[in-house]
Formats: sequence, structure tokens, C-alpha cells
Amino acid sequence: MTLNICVLTPNRMIWDSDVKEIILSTNSRQIGVLPNHAPISTAVDIGLSRIRRNDQWLTVALMGDLARISNNEITISGNDAEISTEIDPQEVKQTLEIAEANLSRVEGNRQAIESNLALRRASTQIEAVNVISY
Amino acid sequence: MAMAALRREGRRFLLPTVSSAPTIAARPAISNEESCLFGVRSISTQIVRNRMKSVKNIQKITKAMKMVAASKLRGVQTRTEASRGVWQPFIALLGDSPSIDVKKNVIVTVSSDKGLCGGINSTSVKVSKALFKVYSGPEKEPKYVILGEKGKAQLVRDSKDHIMLSVSELQKNPVNYTQVSVLADDILKNVEFDALRVVYNKFRSIVLFIPTVSTILSPETIEKESEAGGSLGDLDLYEIEGGETKSEVLQNLTEFQFSCVMFNAVLENACSELGARMSAMDSSSRNAGEMLDRLTLAYNRTRQASITTELIEIISGASALEG
Repeated sequence: MTLNICVLTPNRMIWDSDVKEIILSTNSRQIGVLPNHAPISTAVDIGLSRIRRNDQWLTVALMGDLARISNNEITISGNDAEISTEIDPQEVKQTLEIAEANLSRVEGNRQAIESNLALRRASTQIEAVNVISY
Repeated sequence: MAMAALRREGRRFLLPTVSSAPTIAARPAISNEESCLFGVRSISTQIVRNRMKSVKNIQKITKAMKMVAASKLRGVQTRTEASRGVWQPFIALLGDSPSIDVKKNVIVTVSSDKGLCGGINSTSVKVSKALFKVYSGPEKEPKYVILGEKGKAQLVRDSKDHIMLSVSELQKNPVNYTQVSVLADDILKNVEFDALRVVYNKFRSIVLFIPTVSTILSPETIEKESEAGGSLGDLDLYEIEGGETKSEVLQNLTEFQFSCVMFNAVLENACSELGARMSAMDSSSRNAGEMLDRLTLAYNRTRQASITTELIEIISGASALEG
């Protein structure tokens, strides 16, 4: 029994295949999904998700998505998603530095929220690159 | 040499008299009295040559426009096909009920900013007007939100009071999701609705564009429908995670659905616009080519006729001298 997972963004489809298990991080906690899970729809926060395919874990950085699980089919559709293998470490380090610099220079509530989000996105990408696959 | 003199005479009469398009054959004949024999009606070669030059220029321009549209189409087409998958999970989750009967309908018409793209804007406007009629009734008055100059120009004429919001120059920079989501957010904030109907041209192939309507329901409508049962009743089977209430989740869902559907609609319409422009410019170039052929024939006929008349003059003059 396998789960069929589909990760979509407005620009393209990121991932579409069969996997054994997936761990998502929602805004309250992390949930693990195995085959024959109950139908569930949830909002996924900015963070990492891990997909296990034949004893090999793959990390995906999600930026605010919506996950829908039913009948062994998972659909994650959201603003942005990147597989860890596709992320360029140098670029992400630079983005993180820029985000941190912006956060310190922030003025006003709205800019604070925006730069906070940017920082969280960049740090998620860094984590995705640095994670040790086991 | 005689021909050059004739042409000079013709031009001297031509300049003050001929004002606009040289489509009238009779007038040049009157103004070019010196250049032809009495009783012979002909078009001056100069006029035909001017016309040929302008038609050739038009042909070049339309060919270039077709090439530009074709090259732009390739890029937009890949993005459109990639964006088609994003709104499908929403249909799977919330179902698609286009025939739902609600009080407040808002018709979002997606059209282009530039013209010369065939009939796609007229079709979108026709569909929007038909939807308007369908959803009008006692206590029910649909409203318009228009994207694009061409749709606005056509709808402003008779439905000016019903237009709530109009957006133009959407395609100045290449369309990306962030821009469209900001726009969708704007629309959702300023417009009250029970159901949003997005009207756009779906891109099937370079020659086929199908006017399509996508329906998005407001969270309150979805709640009502899910209690009533039917396809939306399955929504309750899903357990909502995350500690938020169902209405909050539904609100997020519908907002996200709207921005995804808008993104897809704008891309599909852009693709259709480029495809329609390609075929319109192509037929325009072909027409210009045919017109050029006809004008060339007329030019050659005129030229040969004037040579013949000159020869006749010379020969008759010579024989008159002899005899």
C-alpha cells in the first residue's frame, strides 16, 4: 500500500509519485501520514516536510501550503515548494543574510511581518539543505 | 522621355486635387487630362504605385507582429500548462457547482489590453453579458469586475453602473503568482459576493480558444451547501487539523482557490490572446499579399495602356504628316 503524493505550486508541479510515508509540519505540530490515513485537510506552515520513499527520506521546503489527504492520495498545493536537492546552498545563504539584514532595518508593523516571513522562508531553505538524510 | 514628361504633368495635377485614398478611378482621370487622350479613362500609375508601397508595408508589419506573437506564445504556453494543475485539488475537495443559485454574483471578466487579436475579447464580453442576464432577477443584481482595457471599453458602454472594479495593464510585466494573488486579495476585500464567476478564454490550441466560466463560492455559501448535502456534503468527512474553526479554514481555502483560479485564467487568456493575434495577423498578411497581386496587375495594365496610346499618337501623327 502506498500513498500517492502530488506537490503543486502555481508555477509548476513539483512532485508526483508514490511514497511510503510523509511527515508534514502544520502550525500546531508535526503529523505523520501512513497509508490508509483518515481523510484530513490542513494548513501546512512554512517549514520542512519529509517524504519517505523505499527507506530513503527526501526533504521538501514548503512555504505555506494546504494539504489534503484522502483515500491514500495526498495533494499539497501552495505558494511555493522546493525539493532539498534543487536548492542552491550559496544562493540560500545570501538570501538568509539579506533577510536578516532587512529584519534589523525594519520600520513599521507591516514591514516587520514581511521581513519575518522572508527570514522564516530563508531559514527553512537552509535547513532543507543541511538536513542529514537517514 | 515622353513617359517621364507625362508623369510630371500628372503629378502637377495630382498634388492639389487628390486628398485621401486613391480608390476612386474617375477622379484621377479628370485631373490627369494632359496625361491621357480624351475618352480614355485610366488610373494614374503614380497612385497605384503609392498604394502598392503602403500595402507592402502593411504586409511587412503584420508578418512581424505574427512572429512576435508566436515567440511570446511559446513561453506563456509552458507556464499555462504548468499552472493548470493548481486548481484541481480544490475541485476535488470542494466540488464544482456552476449551477448554484445565489443572490450576489460577481462576474470577473478577463480580457486583453491590446487589440488586433481577433474576436476573443468580444466573445468574453458576450459571455459576460449573457451571464449577467441569466443571474439578473428580483433582488438579484450581478456586478462586474473587469481585467483589461478591451473588456472595459466594451462593457462601459451599456453596463457602466454595474462595474465595481476595473484593472488594466496587467500584462506589462510577465504575469507571476504574487502579482495575481495581490490582485485577488484586492478584489476579495472590496467586493461582496456569494459566488464569483471568472470568464476567460481557455487555450486549447493555437487555433482553438474556448470561452470558459469558473465558479468560486464564498465560504458562507459552501457552509450552507455542505449542510444541505450533495457533493459539498463530503467536506465534513474531512477532519480539519490545526485547531482552527471550520469557517476560518474555509475562508483560507476559498481565498487560495480564487487566487489559483485567477492565475490560471489570466495565463490562459494571455495564451489565447497571443494565438488569436497570430492567426489574425497571418490572415491579414495573406490579404495584403492578394491585394498586392491585384494592384500589380492594375499597374501593369495602366502602364501598357499608356505606352500603347503614346505609340498610337506617334504613328497617327507620322502618317498624317506623310499623307
